[in-house]
Amino acid sequence: MAHLICEVVYRGIFQKNLASRITRGIVLSARKAGKWGIAFGRYGDSPQRNGIPAKDFAIVADTQEELEQHMARYEPKELHVTICVDDTLCKGVESWAWYGLQPINRLLLPNGHLLVSSTQSAEELLKDAHKKDAPYSLWILPGKASLAGLWVYKEDHTEVRVLGALAKIAPKILSIEAVAEAIREAEWGSDLKVESARKAYERIQGRPVKITDGNPETPYSFQMPKWWEMREGVTIPSLPIGKPIEGGEGYRPERSAVFKKFSTRTMRPVIDFDTCVKCTLCWLQCPDSCFDVTPEGLYDANMEACCGCGICEAVCPVENCITMVNEAAFDDNASQWEMWRKDKGAYKAWLGAKITDKVHVGRSHGFRYRGQYEEELKAGELELGGAALASGIPGENADQKGLKPNVHEDKSSSIVTGVAEAPGG
Amino acid sequence: MAEIATFSNATQVLEPFKGVKKVTIEEYFSSGHRTCQGCESALVMKLMVKAAGPRTIVLGSTGCMYVANTTYYSTPWVVPWMHTQLGSSGSAALGTAAGLKALMKKGKMKAEPINVIAFCGDGGGADMGLGAISATLTHKEYNSLILLYDNESYANTDIQLSGSTPYGAHTTFSPPGKARRIMHTRWKKNTAGMLAAGHPECRYVATVCASYAVEMMNKVRKALSIGGPTFIHSLDPCPKGWDYDPMLSHELGELAIECGIFPLYEVEEGVVKYYGKTKAIVDGRPRKPVREYLLKQGRFAHFIEEDLEYFQGKVDEMWTKWELPGVACFKKDGARAVAG
Repeated sequence: MAHLICEVVYRGIFQKNLASRITRGIVLSARKAGKWGIAFGRYGDSPQRNGIPAKDFAIVADTQEELEQHMARYEPKELHVTICVDDTLCKGVESWAWYGLQPINRLLLPNGHLLVSSTQSAEELLKDAHKKDAPYSLWILPGKASLAGLWVYKEDHTEVRVLGALAKIAPKILSIEAVAEAIREAEWGSDLKVESARKAYERIQGRPVKITDGNPETPYSFQMPKWWEMREGVTIPSLPIGKPIEGGEGYRPERSAVFKKFSTRTMRPVIDFDTCVKCTLCWLQCPDSCFDVTPEGLYDANMEACCGCGICEAVCPVENCITMVNEAAFDDNASQWEMWRKDKGAYKAWLGAKITDKVHVGRSHGFRYRGQYEEELKAGELELGGAALASGIPGENADQKGLKPNVHEDKSSSIVTGVAEAPGG
Repeated sequence: MAEIATFSNATQVLEPFKGVKKVTIEEYFSSGHRTCQGCESALVMKLMVKAAGPRTIVLGSTGCMYVANTTYYSTPWVVPWMHTQLGSSGSAALGTAAGLKALMKKGKMKAEPINVIAFCGDGGGADMGLGAISATLTHKEYNSLILLYDNESYANTDIQLSGSTPYGAHTTFSPPGKARRIMHTRWKKNTAGMLAAGHPECRYVATVCASYAVEMMNKVRKALSIGGPTFIHSLDPCPKGWDYDPMLSHELGELAIECGIFPLYEVEEGVVKYYGKTKAIVDGRPRKPVREYLLKQGRFAHFIEEDLEYFQGKVDEMWTKWELPGVACFKKDGARAVAG
């Protein structure tokens, strides 16, 4: 008797179809190996929101009876494999209010496996992933996070590469031959995809993670309110009004203490306070009220509230004043304004290093224009999930920023039909 | 904050913000809501109460702005907020306004003008709650504002189509297939125009877009100051349902206006006034082609040339054939035919 329980931790909506293909692929592969399986999403994650971490599960067992034993639950409590399809999730997962920040490896059994799709090294990832009181293995599938939307799928082979890697991690449950057969038969499968799965299978290497390895911080958590602490009716106090920052100047809104939202972020704004013209647009247009107004009238993005949408960069009229940088390039949520006012020279150097960071500069955030995903895949190696188009962001200030949209001028003769995929699940 | 009229119909007098630097610094809708990255509707909530000020009660019918904002035992609201049922934003606004008035008359509450705002999504407002909103807009003795935040689908339950979903859009109910490409063939309902045309005693109806934040806030302030029931329709780009990079929320709002798809206007005491980029269009500035807007969204990725042409043609009609361009769909020729 043997069974395998996997979770896929992913970015809500952006990777919803990807996660459902992976868990479905696991079950189809298991069937090819003569086993039983089921794939399901965590009910509580619905309705999903763009970027907010979500989970899908796949369970495979030798017999139907054994599978059923593991099915009757909201969410598995222990897992053999955690598949993390966006490496910035290694910083922790906060799906809802009161969840706290949950370490990526939280549900892993001792000697379990964490599979991460990433271009970072194990050392870098272990700066983010919290320490665990049991050893496990870390497997890195080289590649960028594949982010697309609800309707148009990015065919960058991530789903099959994960399946190939999983065959290496759990060969007794999923042989690579079973995986290949399942991919060939899937509606989204192809011979090229089988090849990608085999390559991932051959190349992937695991690395042991000791209990001394990992991010030593204690992730924040909450005591749920007890029923006797609750008010009559379903009422809760509203948030207090905010306060000036210092000396009666500036303004910091009071923020929810039980949902911080920063684990939603895949990019963060980096702000050049020296070039800011105090136009207020970033502050006014931020849907998450994440900007504090500083005493001198600058705007400091609060890194516990910012979810990284990038609207501030899109509306900023000054060239390179606000730049969105891959979240993987940061290790904390410190205030940029505090850093700037302590030492402006050092801040300038830090800022310059961040916005030109070649390792982490890749930015992709979903659909910008039709044909974009095809271009990305053409421009980059499929092995790494294609190239992220770093320039040509058609924001309203693209002209002023010298970032002219590169290709989305539509040529009517070359319109491709049937690009859209039916939604997964 | 002065008061106008008699106590019974008094409203707060909210002067327009004269420019972006004069906008209230305080937030009455803060961080900690579980909305999508780049959620324009969350921005609408923030700007709506920023414009309304601290003496405001907000009622929210079911939808993203209820489920995502106030998840289990948490809230981003600084002003009092209450949930109401999906189709009942109109009833909740009217009931709250009437309740406050009664309490004040009986001396159980300090007499002061308090803003009552009820919001609804397009599913709750343009579809289910239309009857209750219509009823509220006839009750001229109660001051309230109903704000429809229109993200053009039932976005909270993962994008089912509503009466507000544009032609041809990919939704859970209208996935394009190989045999049939366009599964949603209905044209979007003209909610603001319909409500303005149908309620002669409603003193203020406006359309807004949060991409033009100061104008949007000033419309809210006027709606709350003018007295009686009022209605505002806001077009909110939705990164989840429209399928686009969240950083484009602001730009797509602008494009919807510049392409003439969503006209900006206010109807004050029965007088139609276009404003912003829409006014420029009415004055003869060319509209941008709709393809610039449509092809930035995954929900239209299946469109071929003839679909783009059809869409463009329908939008052109709004501007060339309608008696009141973009506002009321009575056709010029039709009117003449009846008269003659």
